[in-house]
Amino acid sequence: MTDIAHDAAMETAHPEHESTGIDNRKLGMWLFLSSEFLFFGALISNYLLYSHRGGFQGTYPAEVYDIPFTSVSSFVLLMSSLTMVLAHNALTRKDQNGTRTWLFATAALGAVFLGGQVFEFTEFITNEGMKLTTNPAASAFYLLTGFHGTHVAVGVIMLLSLWGISRRKGGLSEKHGLNLELVGLYWHFVDIIWIIIFTAVYLLSVPPA
Amino acid sequence: MTSTERPHPTPAMYWKIAVVLAGLTAVEVAMYYINRSLHLAVVNTLALLVLAALKFVIVIGFYMHLRYEKAMLSRFFTAGFVLAASLYTIVLTALGVLVIRGS
Repeated sequence: MTDIAHDAAMETAHPEHESTGIDNRKLGMWLFLSSEFLFFGALISNYLLYSHRGGFQGTYPAEVYDIPFTSVSSFVLLMSSLTMVLAHNALTRKDQNGTRTWLFATAALGAVFLGGQVFEFTEFITNEGMKLTTNPAASAFYLLTGFHGTHVAVGVIMLLSLWGISRRKGGLSEKHGLNLELVGLYWHFVDIIWIIIFTAVYLLSVPPA
Repeated sequence: MTSTERPHPTPAMYWKIAVVLAGLTAVEVAMYYINRSLHLAVVNTLALLVLAALKFVIVIGFYMHLRYEKAMLSRFFTAGFVLAASLYTIVLTALGVLVIRGS
């Protein structure tokens, strides 16, 4: 019996419980993502509060943004949502090779985004003199974007885990298919949070007068 | 996706959506530079918020498949967003941050 057939047999023997017509794990993921709005909302509000308040010494984040660079990073993350949904679509068509390819592409794009963030932070700290403790606005910026970056890093690890499982077992079973869907939801959520951050933090920010 | 009745988009449709998202991002960045020259103030702020909201809705609806899912998921997700948006709008308004300003 192949690994995928074994997994399918186990799933038939131990079906998941649900009372809502929606798989409990999927419902749990949506509720978790819904609660994350409060988390990121607090961090964005914290940034808006301090970035608009004058009187702090040192460089403000809005003075050092590199909008062309961040625009490319945003584009990369946006396109990773495309590759993620293509991975899921390939799995629904039982195209295991396609699933692996798009999963790896999504992880790679996520890694590129993270590399961009590391580069941006390094530039700000070494060339612009805006360190974590320079002023509350800088701290709020690093906290928000760093926390988002941590979410992206967790997503990349989950994507690579699924990719590794797929390679080892010769494909993803129905059970792992749901895992891929849950990881996909998480990944798209990280993307929509960046859509908000890109607009509220980068494009609409102006240094205090 | 097991809980849907409507057919999901095809890969070709996903690519078209990606082109729309990339286009909206390009318009956002263009608005940023136009505003630096023309100082559009409130118009710029509103335009950028509308563009971000469009991208937000497109990703949730098509890539997260929320428009194909059961209504209960939409309600839970929307409730979380509305709760967070309302709470922080009130807090930031009370603290004097949410004043639309031109740049």
